[in-house]
Amino acid sequence: MLVGVLVAGCAAPEPAERAASGQPSVTATATRVDGPVIEVRIAKGRVTPPPGRVEVARGDRVVFTVTSDVVDEVRLHGYDIDSELRPGGTTTVEFTADMPGLFEVETHDSGTQLFQLLVR
Amino acid sequence: MILPAAGDTRLLAHGIGGREDLPIPFSYALLGAVIVLVVSFLAVGLLWRTPRLDGARAGRPLPPPVQTVLDSPALRTALRLLGLAATAYVAVAAVFGPDVAANPVPGVVYVLFWVGLVPLSLLFGPVWRLVNPLRTLHLLLARVLRTAPEQGLLPYPAWLGYWPAAVGLLAFAWLELVAPDNTTVPVLRTFFLVYAGFNLLAAAVFGSRWFDRGDGFEVYSTLVGRLSPLGRRADGRFVLRAPLQGLDTVPVAPGVVATVCVVLGTTAFDGLSNAPSWVRFVQSGVLGQVSAGTFGLLGCVAAFAAAYLVAALLSGRLSDGGRRSLPRLFAHSVVPIAVGYVVAHYFSLLLFEGQRTLMLLSDPLVNGANVFGTAERGVDFTLASPATIAVVQVVAVVSGHVIGVVSAHDRAVRLFPRRQAVRGQLPLLLLMVGYTLTGLTLLFAA
Repeated sequence: MLVGVLVAGCAAPEPAERAASGQPSVTATATRVDGPVIEVRIAKGRVTPPPGRVEVARGDRVVFTVTSDVVDEVRLHGYDIDSELRPGGTTTVEFTADMPGLFEVETHDSGTQLFQLLVR
Repeated sequence: MILPAAGDTRLLAHGIGGREDLPIPFSYALLGAVIVLVVSFLAVGLLWRTPRLDGARAGRPLPPPVQTVLDSPALRTALRLLGLAATAYVAVAAVFGPDVAANPVPGVVYVLFWVGLVPLSLLFGPVWRLVNPLRTLHLLLARVLRTAPEQGLLPYPAWLGYWPAAVGLLAFAWLELVAPDNTTVPVLRTFFLVYAGFNLLAAAVFGSRWFDRGDGFEVYSTLVGRLSPLGRRADGRFVLRAPLQGLDTVPVAPGVVATVCVVLGTTAFDGLSNAPSWVRFVQSGVLGQVSAGTFGLLGCVAAFAAAYLVAALLSGRLSDGGRRSLPRLFAHSVVPIAVGYVVAHYFSLLLFEGQRTLMLLSDPLVNGANVFGTAERGVDFTLASPATIAVVQVVAVVSGHVIGVVSAHDRAVRLFPRRQAVRGQLPLLLLMVGYTLTGLTLLFAA
């Protein structure tokens, strides 16, 4: 756990920390979000929209939602943020993109890539 | 590749390294491409007309005391023991450690060993043959049986050349880039058990010469090591020499083209497989994930090899009517291009995931031990900014190209009649430009 937090970076630790410990972050008390919310749906193993790249600026507040028809888990690699997916439910992940690089957002069980996050 | 993060106690589906490099800025790719084109065409027009490279004799001999130390049995034995000890340490983690993301084995295999071998070989030459634990085990076995380690049951067939190494490297690349569950400990344990068993058996049959030609990791380290400033000359002396001179000593043997094309093609596939268009194709379900990956990996190697063979045969046609051995006579000149690709693709992985692996190695059984005192160190991502990484990538690819072009030019003026040398090297030059621009495109777009 300690290592996970270290890896996740030092800025804006709260949502990442909570997400990394298995609880989806709560996004009702919205801080300012930079750019549109990224929405992904998984149905019958297919991802809509098909995987592509989403580019954000370093330091941006990023929000994405995942709707799934099966139980799984979504993971943002590199930032090591995990959130559970429930059938029919929508999971929201919010974090600050404080580390530059290219990061895959993937489901854990099926290993399906949802999109790639490009932080410049 | 995605390596599971240390804090994760479960296991992820695949891959290594949570962070991947940003695509290089377009201006960098463009500048790289311009330098490549200008250098290439100037090289043909301006470079020497009589061969200047003579790797077998070139170089500045090191002072005698240094020669003595480098050749000393004590140093050789120490390196072998180091290789055995490190392998034993990792084997303990592989056999007794839990199969969780904090197990250091995947990081050791894919980052410290496989990627780390490249800078070590670039600096010191063929290091893996000095520490290869299988070579040491074979040597010990030969001592016990009172036979000479070089002595096998059969002589190593000349026609086999580097082919077993090419196949072995391709198998490892498939494991790294395609195989399901390739970052799990049982899969790696199985791969390396089979690898060790096969190589020890082959060494029993062919003697220790097998490792020189048949062991993919040794061949890889030795090929990369030809670019090292430290080399051993034909007269047995250790010398400091230019990378171009070292390259000139790459053996012209069967399978050398295949080996170089495996390194190029698999590294290119690693870049390509990251592109969203490839991901969409794989996830469209036309082929299964493994079939699609296998198809892509083999396709990349085949494409690089086919392009090479066509260019080499055309060169033959345009010079002295074609020689069957021509492709392998120029294989050495593709080595630096392949190394450029490798450095560009894996530099940041070694820098960042290497730190993480050193941290995990301190607790090999994932029970809270801290053998080296590094268990609590985080990964310092500030060691290289995205801009620095992009510069390293472009410089690696462009330098590999320049060294490749010059070494091919020298070989052309040595082999071809004077008047046909320029014409004869044009297809190979175009091929190298193609390889390098492909490399830059992958860095920019994939």
